Amino acid sequence: MKELSLRDGRRKVLNWSAITVLCVLSFLAITPLFFIFSYLAVRGAGGLSLAFFTELPKPVGEIGGGMANAIGGSLILLSIASSFGIPIGLACGVALSELKVGVTVRALRLSVDLLTSVPSIVIGLFAYAVVVVPMRGYSAWAGGFALSIVMIPIVARSTEEILRLVPSHVYEAGLALGLPRWKVLLRLIIPGVRAGVTTGILLASARVSGETAPLLFTAFSNSFGFRGLNQPIASLPVQIFTYATSHDDTWRQLAWTGALVLVFVVFLLNLVTRFLIRRRE
Amino acid sequence: MTDSEISLRTEGLSAWFGDHHVVKSISLSVSRNDVYALIGPSGCGKSTFIRCLNRLHEEIDGARVQGDVWISGDSGSENIYAPGSDPVAIRRQVGMVFQKPNPFPGLSIFDNVVAGLRLAGVKRRSVLEEVVETSLKHAALWTEVKDKLKKPGTSLSGGQQQRLCIARALAVRPKILLMDEPTSALDPISTARIEELVMRLRSEVTVLIVTHNMQQAARISNQTAFFLMGELVESGPTSRIFTKPKDTRTEQYITGRFG
Repeated sequence: MKELSLRDGRRKVLNWSAITVLCVLSFLAITPLFFIFSYLAVRGAGGLSLAFFTELPKPVGEIGGGMANAIGGSLILLSIASSFGIPIGLACGVALSELKVGVTVRALRLSVDLLTSVPSIVIGLFAYAVVVVPMRGYSAWAGGFALSIVMIPIVARSTEEILRLVPSHVYEAGLALGLPRWKVLLRLIIPGVRAGVTTGILLASARVSGETAPLLFTAFSNSFGFRGLNQPIASLPVQIFTYATSHDDTWRQLAWTGALVLVFVVFLLNLVTRFLIRRRE
Repeated sequence: MTDSEISLRTEGLSAWFGDHHVVKSISLSVSRNDVYALIGPSGCGKSTFIRCLNRLHEEIDGARVQGDVWISGDSGSENIYAPGSDPVAIRRQVGMVFQKPNPFPGLSIFDNVVAGLRLAGVKRRSVLEEVVETSLKHAALWTEVKDKLKKPGTSLSGGQQQRLCIARALAVRPKILLMDEPTSALDPISTARIEELVMRLRSEVTVLIVTHNMQQAARISNQTAFFLMGELVESGPTSRIFTKPKDTRTEQYITGRFG
């Protein structure tokens, strides 16, 4: 008995130390997040004001100004990216899950996976070659195009996975009612997975809102506000990059506040996504 | 039996999954308003057989069908495997209820019942409302759900969901209803309700029901066919199959010696 209780003690100590190690390592993993949030809050919150959201940046040396151009620019870029990326991504996802598996579908899936892992700076280069060069200049179109390419594979894969979760007998129930395949899919199956599809779209939007590299030589930037879709356009990430690397204190403050706002928006998008997933379950 | 009383007739119906021959040249006649039970051990081809009767089998990759299936409609008898025959049109006449309850996710009870009609172009609200009420009454679900038609179909219990699926199938007014082990995922009380319902449905539709449960076949059907390894061993009035089977394999199966 004594031997058994000794072993028992050893087991408890082992158990306790394993739990401790796990806790410490998990804590280490989330520490950066905590520091990012708190540091951004400390450095950025001071610059939060109505002017930050409504005013254009002032020239170097002048006090004040805001990032209205970058915020508006990011929204415009996101709209352009979404209006190409979402429909194409959705179509791609539907094709991946519904078409009979053959060479085409396998090639499509491989391409989508490869596209996910292409570095975003390369996507920027591609957009530069196919949009900026023919249009002879940086533009909102080019930036939105580059971002849409980042979006497509994310939307496609999430849509595919959501559709695959629908059991085949639900599909067959629709066919058994005497309805053509496409009607069953578009009117009965897809409406039922709305929440899941929306989740994928929101995640893709969150990802794209923070992308900087694809915009550097596509949308470029400007500090005058919106001048049309054929003109260079500011965006939060690029503006943060420019201001953070400048030597002007007002600009550097704007960069901190911009970073805080950007992180907050992405955080919010993720929260909404989680809420949708929870409600679906 | 005159031809007009026959609701469905198969002639040399065979089905394959790839090279696997799962239904072997079945010829069977089902009369109007029969409840026809298909019994047999797992993997004997009975589910595949009824999935050929609404041309659902061919929707699976690598699946193939050979033979003829005649169903009698308003304009005489029609072979659903005739060249040029449209599976979509056939499925309007031959409804199906599946093993697992499968209401369309995200759709309300109301929308589930009218899915078939609405997507076929029926738009008038009054018509749809009437169909919902009659179909749910036929499926013995109306009193339980009449005050919550806007709730999602998936919010119901398993047994209620299965009756909702029956209502959904009945809403397009099929002449034949195929049921693929409709109670195998349900508790005994829900099972009893569905069995009662099937017996009452006789006056409206011809029912073909696949079941693993021999007591169920004995309780609700008037005709029974026994399948074994893709072949039809024996068919006839349920009472005779269960009391005086002609084939020793049928006798062994119904007395529980295998399967």
